[in-house]
Amino acid sequence: MLAFLLLAVTAVPAAAEPQVSLTSHVSVVRIKAGRSGTPVRSLEEPKLVTPGDRLLFTLDYSNNSGKPADHFVVSDPVPSGVIFAGEESKGAEVSVDSGKSFGPLDTLKVVDADGKRRAARPSDVTHVRWTFARAVAAGERGELRFEAIVK
Amino acid sequence: MIRNRIAAGVSLAALIFGTATPANAAGTTAGSNIVNNVTVDFKVGGVSQNQISASNSLVVDRKVNLTVAEVGNATTSVSPGQSAAVTTFSVTNSSNATLDFALAATNRSGGTAAHGGTDNFDVSNIKMYVDTNSNGVYDAGTDQQVTYLDQVAADAVVTVFVVADVPLGRSTGDVAGVRLTATAADGSTAGSQGAVLTQTAGANTAAMDTVFADTNANGNTANDGIGFAEDDYTVLGANVAATKTSRVVSDPINGTTNPKMIPGATVEYCIAVANGSGSATATNVVVTDPLPAQTTYDSTFGIKVNGTVTGATCNADGVAGGSFAGTTVTGTIASLLAADTRTVVFRVTIN
Repeated sequence: MLAFLLLAVTAVPAAAEPQVSLTSHVSVVRIKAGRSGTPVRSLEEPKLVTPGDRLLFTLDYSNNSGKPADHFVVSDPVPSGVIFAGEESKGAEVSVDSGKSFGPLDTLKVVDADGKRRAARPSDVTHVRWTFARAVAAGERGELRFEAIVK
Repeated sequence: MIRNRIAAGVSLAALIFGTATPANAAGTTAGSNIVNNVTVDFKVGGVSQNQISASNSLVVDRKVNLTVAEVGNATTSVSPGQSAAVTTFSVTNSSNATLDFALAATNRSGGTAAHGGTDNFDVSNIKMYVDTNSNGVYDAGTDQQVTYLDQVAADAVVTVFVVADVPLGRSTGDVAGVRLTATAADGSTAGSQGAVLTQTAGANTAAMDTVFADTNANGNTANDGIGFAEDDYTVLGANVAATKTSRVVSDPINGTTNPKMIPGATVEYCIAVANGSGSATATNVVVTDPLPAQTTYDSTFGIKVNGTVTGATCNADGVAGGSFAGTTVTGTIASLLAADTRTVVFRVTIN
């Protein structure tokens, strides 16, 4: 009788793709007069950027893990040098106190330099984030956006 | 694109406070990076996974803007021959970068000057000074003479004095216009003027580019990195004229009744000095008068200065002053206002 040697070969996993991929991209929003005089909005690569310019930030995500990803939270502190200008993708919450707390902008208040309390404005926003209510399915991709103006 | 339903609003029983931050008028400093950092946290199978992050960065370009303005809203009133007469300007750097500014101060050639007069002469020996002690006033010896402004910060305003000499021989109402021109230059190096800036031509780059955003204020060209403003000097001279009159006071025969001009008679001379209306005050007006031949100075009467006139008559209200030496009478009127007349009076006897 011949004995068979069974060699157990452990599968070495291929170099792991990140479970979730995330990219951040910025474009400059240019508004020009169109042929009929109505303003036309176009996006440019951010090569010429000066104070006052409007920037569009796009955050692309993709769930490559092969499984649903839940408690999915995308956070983005407003970069220094720009003022938050809204137009954020649906479902965002913002913070006006450096990320300590979040909520819809129209419910938030700030204290002014002269001690007066007032409704928070887009220019007060320090952070924006999206907390997904349901899991992101395997293979699902999406894009989140917001705009800001160069100080 | 799949729409994701996101968590409903957070309960806000407590008000959330933040503080508003002021904005810098010139904007984010040129050359700085705007860096966006985004993170995602998630669970798979109920287990928290490593946080994923991404970032990207872009460079803020240099937006050049400057304003030169006249300070004081009025001409500088000067006398003919005045030295170091001052006109005042301000230079504002509203760029988003620290810059040097090359300066030039030049005479206007004719035309309407800054405050409405017609330019008809030039000032000379023009120099520029920065207001080193920031008191708004030109202080010779303290304020530093300059040919450029060194490292003016974004949003800073610098006061510059243009100082020049006024020639003699000008009349009241003459005007000399001057212009101060500032040209944006690189401000990286302290103590020496940087290269004059040029706008980035051709394709925009990923590095810091330069854009000219200056206006055409005061008639200068927009978008060229140069600004200027004008001011002017207006002459206010003193228009002084002297008239000499005499009267016989007494003679040895008639006394003071219809006295005649005979040997031994006393004659009074009055030199009336008048300053035109609208003139500057004339100061230190020195009157010299040699005695006529064949007369002798009356030292008992002496010299009376600063008397007044009524019509053509010299009033006897001068005060003792002046001096007599050799054969010359000298009297000084300290201050002669516009439209005023003052006198130097003395007496002689006919030999």
